[in-house]
Amino acid sequence: MIETILYSLLSNVPPTDNGTFWLPRSASTVAENIDFTFELINWICYFFFAVIVVAMVLFCIKYRRKSPNMTCDGPTHNTALELTWTIAPLLLVVVIFTVGMRGYLDLREAPEGCYEVQVTGQKWSWTFNHPEFGATQVGELTVPVGKPVRLLMTSNDVLHSVWIPDFRVKMDVIPGRYTSLWFEATKVGDYQLNCTEYCGKDHSKMLAKVHVIPVDEFDATMIKLASEYEDMSRAELPAYAINRLYNRCVSCHSLDGSSGTGPSFNGLWDRVKVGQVKFTSGEALSSLLGDATEYGEPENYIRESILNPQKHIVQGYLGSMPSFQGQLKEKQITAMIEMFKHLDELTDANGNITVNKDGTPTE
Amino acid sequence: MITTEAKHDNLSMSDNYLNHTKGIKSWLFTLDHKRIGMMYLICILLAFLLGGIFAMLIRFHLLTPDGALMTQDQYNQAFTVHGAVMVFLVIIPAVPAALGNFVLPIMLGAKDVAFPRLNLFSWWLWILGLVFFLISLGTGGVDTGWTFYTPYSIDKASSMGGVIPALIGAFVLGFSSIFTGMNFIVTIHRLRPVGMTWFRMPLFLWGTYATAIIQVLATPVIGITLLLLIVERSFGIGIFDPALGGDPVLYQHFFWFYSHPAVYIMILPAMGIVSELIAVHSHRHIFGYKFIAYSSIAIAMFGFLVWGHHMFTSGQSQLVNIIFSLITFSVSIPSAIKVFNWLATLYKGSISLNTPMLYGLSFIFIFGIGGLTGLYCATLNTDVHLHDSYFIVAHFHYVMMGSALIGFIGGIHHWWPKMTGKMYNEAWGRFACVLVFVGFNVTFFTQFMMGSRGMPRRYATYQPEFQTYHVISTIGSTIMALGFVITAIYLLHSVFKGKKAPRNPWGGRSLEWQCSSPPPWDNFAEQPEVGDCYDFSVLVWNEEEQGYDWRKDAVHPGE
Repeated sequence: MIETILYSLLSNVPPTDNGTFWLPRSASTVAENIDFTFELINWICYFFFAVIVVAMVLFCIKYRRKSPNMTCDGPTHNTALELTWTIAPLLLVVVIFTVGMRGYLDLREAPEGCYEVQVTGQKWSWTFNHPEFGATQVGELTVPVGKPVRLLMTSNDVLHSVWIPDFRVKMDVIPGRYTSLWFEATKVGDYQLNCTEYCGKDHSKMLAKVHVIPVDEFDATMIKLASEYEDMSRAELPAYAINRLYNRCVSCHSLDGSSGTGPSFNGLWDRVKVGQVKFTSGEALSSLLGDATEYGEPENYIRESILNPQKHIVQGYLGSMPSFQGQLKEKQITAMIEMFKHLDELTDANGNITVNKDGTPTE
Repeated sequence: MITTEAKHDNLSMSDNYLNHTKGIKSWLFTLDHKRIGMMYLICILLAFLLGGIFAMLIRFHLLTPDGALMTQDQYNQAFTVHGAVMVFLVIIPAVPAALGNFVLPIMLGAKDVAFPRLNLFSWWLWILGLVFFLISLGTGGVDTGWTFYTPYSIDKASSMGGVIPALIGAFVLGFSSIFTGMNFIVTIHRLRPVGMTWFRMPLFLWGTYATAIIQVLATPVIGITLLLLIVERSFGIGIFDPALGGDPVLYQHFFWFYSHPAVYIMILPAMGIVSELIAVHSHRHIFGYKFIAYSSIAIAMFGFLVWGHHMFTSGQSQLVNIIFSLITFSVSIPSAIKVFNWLATLYKGSISLNTPMLYGLSFIFIFGIGGLTGLYCATLNTDVHLHDSYFIVAHFHYVMMGSALIGFIGGIHHWWPKMTGKMYNEAWGRFACVLVFVGFNVTFFTQFMMGSRGMPRRYATYQPEFQTYHVISTIGSTIMALGFVITAIYLLHSVFKGKKAPRNPWGGRSLEWQCSSPPPWDNFAEQPEVGDCYDFSVLVWNEEEQGYDWRKDAVHPGE
């Protein structure tokens, strides 16, 4: 890293695809503009800081005290000089303001005909809906390169904020209203998306990857994504669920048996099947299972825990899970239940996922 | 020589504010501004230790990408406690309540502040605020961040149980701050002796005066906001929670309407200190007195109009963002004026690189960076990228810690001989100052780099690419902590073993240097004469006392 730093300091040219000393790689159309403003302010700052430090050091050397006696003289004020260093910075900041404002308007005004993605933030995962294709992604967002994309965002619980550093875009995500941001990715690749408004325990794990793919692959990818589970047989569903659906559970529910914000999925089905779950109400699941009672089949309890998680809260937990009503199709809920039943075959003892989406073992 | 020493002894040690009355009660219920100032100083430094311990926990936790020390919840509590303690208990009261209380009335030529009982009450409120903060730690902790953003802080299922005691603590501390500010405004208006005109006041007084205005006008807003939050969290009345029909962004407006001016509550009095440090330790008339004085008032006024720059990505309208960005830049002008005037004061001075001066120079260096990086944050399009990243963390630490607290520590060293009557070890003082300066810059300059490269703030875990930065930053914070530990040791040592301080060790010209060290119970036996407090030519070095005296041939002002 040191040589990267030195190189970029000396040459002021991006040494690699890794960005400059100050900024990460730039991968959107607005990034160039923001980087320009950043560099402009940089040089103004370098200049003024050099003036301050050089003057300070020079004076401290030249006028270093030689005897404790009072010998000093020197001007007590100079109105012309003081007005100069009042007015000169004033003019400069007006320039900076104007450049920044123009760049900002470009950054905020989405062009016509954006590809729209609906974004929902909830503790602690990102859900991306593609209404054009009826596809949903969690923890990853696929967008086409060279096309403006608009994110229409809201939150299900507290404040969140979307930040994609390589695109230089950021906007808070607020419960009870919509906010939006837009970008046009310029390079194919994977980019980091962070939550950058503090949202509680796993704030730093509320991440997502933005996959920028070629335009001609985009439609096919999205169509496949939207319908991939529809034609699957029951046997294929567990592998699909653990790879495609589990990522919205991962921040609270572990696979290795350790307790998180919610109970671990490890061994969950075995406990549910026999009703070996206690709720905060003191009730046990076993008393609700059975033909004539609330859950004729234990599967119904899982289904309800996904759609109406506040109804029965497991003892020892706070009940912070949001509802996934409307976010999962019936077949996807079935896939989740199949996943619970076959979790042993999908994970190893440490809770690592061992199968790919198509059922082949991972490397 | 023996007679002079004996005489000096009589003056300084026979009866001063430290030994005038005895017993713990004579301190806890004292109405003397100097004792209240000293009690504030001790308590604030202890709170600084507490906040510092949490800071070190945070830094060591971030040594590894997965977090080296704590769970996510513990980390979130650590940065909340660090922020809340440092802001509410340390930096806001540091200069005004501790140093201001001690120095302001003496500098002014008054015997005390206008309302001594109210002054004592402020200190007790500070203690009460501290108690509430400790209660909040004991009742489930706080993990909201010191900003208490809604709806997270309202939602009992997400945020921890200690939120309400913490809110009450901040509320109570607000009143402590309001009363101190009110006291200072009235004192400066009403208790100036004959001859102490507005433009003869030392610049430290202009700084505290401007601060006091903000304390009185802005703090009630945070008080009301915190009350609304308490009501909402306790009784479920919808004010800020969208689930109850409230508006979470409204909270941010209320919060920053106070908390941005609060930044100037922290920095303005520290700038006042630096004006004194630079002038006194260069033995040089301050350059551009009026520009510096007016710039303090200008910063205080502009400070009320810029809160919206904390919310450029909050969803507020583009027009509002543009207006706030423009007004924000206006604050940079008076700040620049101050820096240039300090530099011009060094020109043709007689600069002593002693400990207080080194802190003064550190302030100029660090505030230079802190102020200039403000340009990136005020500019709309760059701020969209930088907001809520480590760049912001670095920026406000450069201003709040590197500037406000460094100014405070410089002030402690400047007035230490006056406050305690003892000299500290100069060599250790300089060494510790260099450690703090180097450690500070290593810690926080690195954070600028990782922030603009994409490291979000308040992250307990992070991408491995940022580890090098975090490790360097932690090393810096360790160097800085070492500097503070050394400072604590030699200052404590000086209290017991230090050389006796002369009346005027630095050659200061303002009135506090005319009374003995430590000052007598009622400050001045007779009303001091007021002159130009930056005209050092009337002072002469006294080798025997290792301090400065009035020149025999100099005409006393007023004579």
